[in-house]
Amino acid sequence: MEQFPTPDGYGFFLRQIGPLSNVEANYYHGRVPIWKEFMEHGTYDDYWQARNIIPHLGRTAPAVMTVGGWFDSEDKYGAVNIYRAIETRSTGTRNILVWGPWHHGGWARVDGDTLGHIRFEQKTSLWYRQNVERKFFNAHLKDEGKDDLPEVTAFMTGANEWRSFDAWPPPEVSPTPLYVRENGGLSFSAPTSAEAEDSYVSDPAKPVPFTAQTTMSMGHVYMVEDQRFASTRPDVLVYQTDVLTEDVTFAGPATVELYASTSGTDTDWMVKLIDVYPPDAPDPRPNPTGVRMGGFQMLVGGEAFRAKFRNSFEEPTPVPADKVVRYTFGLPDKLHRFRKGHRIMVQIQSTWFPLVDRNTGVFQDLYDAEPGDFRATTQKVHRSVQHATRLILPLLKDH
Amino acid sequence: MTRRTLPLILLIAVFVATLAAQESFDIREHYTKREYAIPARDGIKLHTAVYTPKDTSKTYPIIMTRTPYAAAPYGEQRIPQSFGYQFNRFAKDGYILVFQDVRGRYMSEGEFENVRPYNPKKSSTRDIDETSDTYDTIEWLLENTRHHNGNVGVLGTSYPGFYTWMSTIAAHPAVKATSPQAPVSQWMSGDDFFHNGAFMLPHAFDFYSWFGWPRPKPKKEADRFLDQGTPDEYDFFLRLGALPNANKLYLHDSVAFWNTLMANGQWNDFWAQRSILPHLRGLKPAVLVVGGWFDTENLYGALNSYSAAERQSQGSDIRLVMGPWSHGQWGYDSGDSLGRIQWNSPTAHYYVDSIEAPFFAHHLKGAPAPKIAEATVFNTGDKTWSHLPAWPPSGTSEYRLYLEEGNGLSSTPPSSANPHDEYISDPNRPVPYTNEITGWYYPPFMLEDQRFASRRPDVLVYTTEPMAEELTIAGPITVDLTVSTTGTDCDWIVKVIDVYPDRLGNEVPAGWFQGPTKSLGGYQMMVRGDVLRGKFRNGLERPEPFIPDTPAKVHFTLQDAFHTFRKGHRIMIQVQSTWFPMIDRNPGKFMDIYRAADSDFQKTTQRVYRSSTASSSVIFRRLPQPTRQ
Repeated sequence: MEQFPTPDGYGFFLRQIGPLSNVEANYYHGRVPIWKEFMEHGTYDDYWQARNIIPHLGRTAPAVMTVGGWFDSEDKYGAVNIYRAIETRSTGTRNILVWGPWHHGGWARVDGDTLGHIRFEQKTSLWYRQNVERKFFNAHLKDEGKDDLPEVTAFMTGANEWRSFDAWPPPEVSPTPLYVRENGGLSFSAPTSAEAEDSYVSDPAKPVPFTAQTTMSMGHVYMVEDQRFASTRPDVLVYQTDVLTEDVTFAGPATVELYASTSGTDTDWMVKLIDVYPPDAPDPRPNPTGVRMGGFQMLVGGEAFRAKFRNSFEEPTPVPADKVVRYTFGLPDKLHRFRKGHRIMVQIQSTWFPLVDRNTGVFQDLYDAEPGDFRATTQKVHRSVQHATRLILPLLKDH
Repeated sequence: MTRRTLPLILLIAVFVATLAAQESFDIREHYTKREYAIPARDGIKLHTAVYTPKDTSKTYPIIMTRTPYAAAPYGEQRIPQSFGYQFNRFAKDGYILVFQDVRGRYMSEGEFENVRPYNPKKSSTRDIDETSDTYDTIEWLLENTRHHNGNVGVLGTSYPGFYTWMSTIAAHPAVKATSPQAPVSQWMSGDDFFHNGAFMLPHAFDFYSWFGWPRPKPKKEADRFLDQGTPDEYDFFLRLGALPNANKLYLHDSVAFWNTLMANGQWNDFWAQRSILPHLRGLKPAVLVVGGWFDTENLYGALNSYSAAERQSQGSDIRLVMGPWSHGQWGYDSGDSLGRIQWNSPTAHYYVDSIEAPFFAHHLKGAPAPKIAEATVFNTGDKTWSHLPAWPPSGTSEYRLYLEEGNGLSSTPPSSANPHDEYISDPNRPVPYTNEITGWYYPPFMLEDQRFASRRPDVLVYTTEPMAEELTIAGPITVDLTVSTTGTDCDWIVKVIDVYPDRLGNEVPAGWFQGPTKSLGGYQMMVRGDVLRGKFRNGLERPEPFIPDTPAKVHFTLQDAFHTFRKGHRIMIQVQSTWFPMIDRNPGKFMDIYRAADSDFQKTTQRVYRSSTASSSVIFRRLPQPTRQ
């Protein structure tokens, strides 16, 4: 493997790579064919449709146990969508789902008692391997024991408990809107103002980092990282509830319903759902990394949405500049409890670098962008009666 | 590495028991202790602990520290196992060690006054100041204690550094040598609580919500810290909001000196009376001034008390030591590193053993004169000591770097017609001074990696090309900006940064599978940074509003640095208008910030000009090559 020219991914991708077209010109030189294919297929076209396995899961004969990690930065989409496709297209198949608090492959490789600074108070991966995976294969391949595993076995982060469900998402959830409000508030009550918005300037020359660490790798710790490094920035909108007076638990994908405008003709919207720990949350003992858990802003889940794809991934369309547009997209599936005494926080931003490539702010093929194409845009998030930006949380009455 | 940092000033007075484990020398085996209530000329009694070697076959010099932080432990039976590395050295070498509570603190009687003004014209025994308290103490000790050789040395760090200077002016004739270390010298200008008119919020608040409560009568109990309820000072101080809220929420007008700070937000007679600098003249004792290049609190005091004494007290024996240290670090640490930066040698032990100990041994014990240079200064870039005949060194030349279009930095004046760069400064989303989650303040921030700041839209960044040859700066750094703001007041923070090469040596940079790096590749080491509160650009006693959107000259001096930018490194300048919570927020309005309301704080658009007709630059003093002496 070739060495990277710096250990600093943010600096590398911003200064040394720059526009994506430079990857081919300066680094790959035609030696990585699939990169060229990626660059040529920036929409959901025939190329990608031919490579989608989901439509082919209609007649699945073997028993299937799909395993996913809540903090898998790579293939969490695959876990939940494969499970659901078999569930709907191959109804006779023995099809079960397991969710743990794991990074990509963490169920197989580590004990699963921590991720970054978040502690799960038990060896979740060991438990899965001993009590779920072995049982499943022993029953189906060796006829040892019975596969009496629940339809869904899921670890509830925040509560740090294993739960079982008859379906995923659990049918008993109540989709509940959580509104972006004035003065950085976040509330289950809808806004009352006729016109209200918050704005920021998003500058692709100074993108919001996705991590406070200096690293070349995407890694996985960013999936639960303390977001205080982002909250202090002027190009990140921060909304948080009052201190919760009772536990708030949700199961499944939260849905973003965003009303927003940009001064450009394309942009990105990132929405992050965060669990804010109380100021007196205890530090771990021992505490070799010196983390301070008081006020820790744990990323529970976040997702990016490229605005030009708001109507279709096949046919991108320009965004009308300075017009309020409704965007709706899902955040990754979770089973999480915001505990009493914590707060729920939502952050909205338009860069998440270098995790997500930079948008030029202009409706164009970003894979051919030139350095001069990138421009700062003024972004507005609306929170009025008409345009009430919200997150729909699938709340779970605890059982 | 994040950690709650205790105030380092404390450590001078609190004899850290944990250090004892590393020390084979046990104070209890070698010393006896007496405590005295020493009467000053006005009858007020000053609590004094005297540790005398058990071996009374010889006489010893007295080494004394006067402190507001408790001459603890209290009780003649209570002798610490260790005084820490610095003071253990005196104990091993054979000195009588004296620790005194200053007037009005802990077990001493009387009224405490912060940086009590020096009174050069005393007319009665009621006229006291810190010099007379020191004089009276020494007179009493010489008459009433045994086994001394008649010579006295005084030293102390931080506030005790102020008292050390007070023992040096109008000194008792027995005082042969003193060492003011990181001394408090002149608040408002650059020590502790104000830098160029900006308020050092967490330092002042954290300090006085601990140090500043009334002490109606002598006490032994340690001052108590205010529980801020969170380990995150950025969050705490942002929620605190406008400065008057500090009294409403926490102090309730019980901390008199906090109110004094709030009432004296500019240079005036009050501050002039409390500056020691004009009084550093006619000095009799030999003086060793000691400071740390990365001292947040009293870098100003070390450098400026040294230079004032040099200028005003010619013929006196005054020397300077500047090491790569945070506040007081030389007293309790080996000094082999600070934050992420390694110095490759135990710089603090070198200082204590090779400079401080021989200095006092010569002046107090008659040991041979050691070879201590006029200025023993550590170069924080090439990580070596230099022994110079003057500080700042002679023979330097001006080296000016201009901010350029396209984020460049160059010694050539700009030719661009495009006039400026700009950013929006939002006091409700201020730029953090550190990337750490920390309470009190984070001492290594003074050389912390600035990449977290470079990436913000409200920080302007200008960088040279990689250096073709090394460049050594020595002395003050001056800032010469042309700026405008949409408001009528604002702050300008300028940081000088050494950008390490992306790839260092033969290291293997972190790959995608490796996680965060331990490498310093691309590290942006802050070498020096400071603030000017804009309204004071023409004088700390003369606040003047900016005219909105109108270019103005802003000129101020960053404190001295001694640093080699090595070949392949780059010099970076960052300009920003918030540095939170290290300095309080400017509302963007010309007003008394100490009486601001939360609603006063507004966003401003800040412009820095860098064209051929209106330029901005930073001026260094450059040493000729070769740099090593």
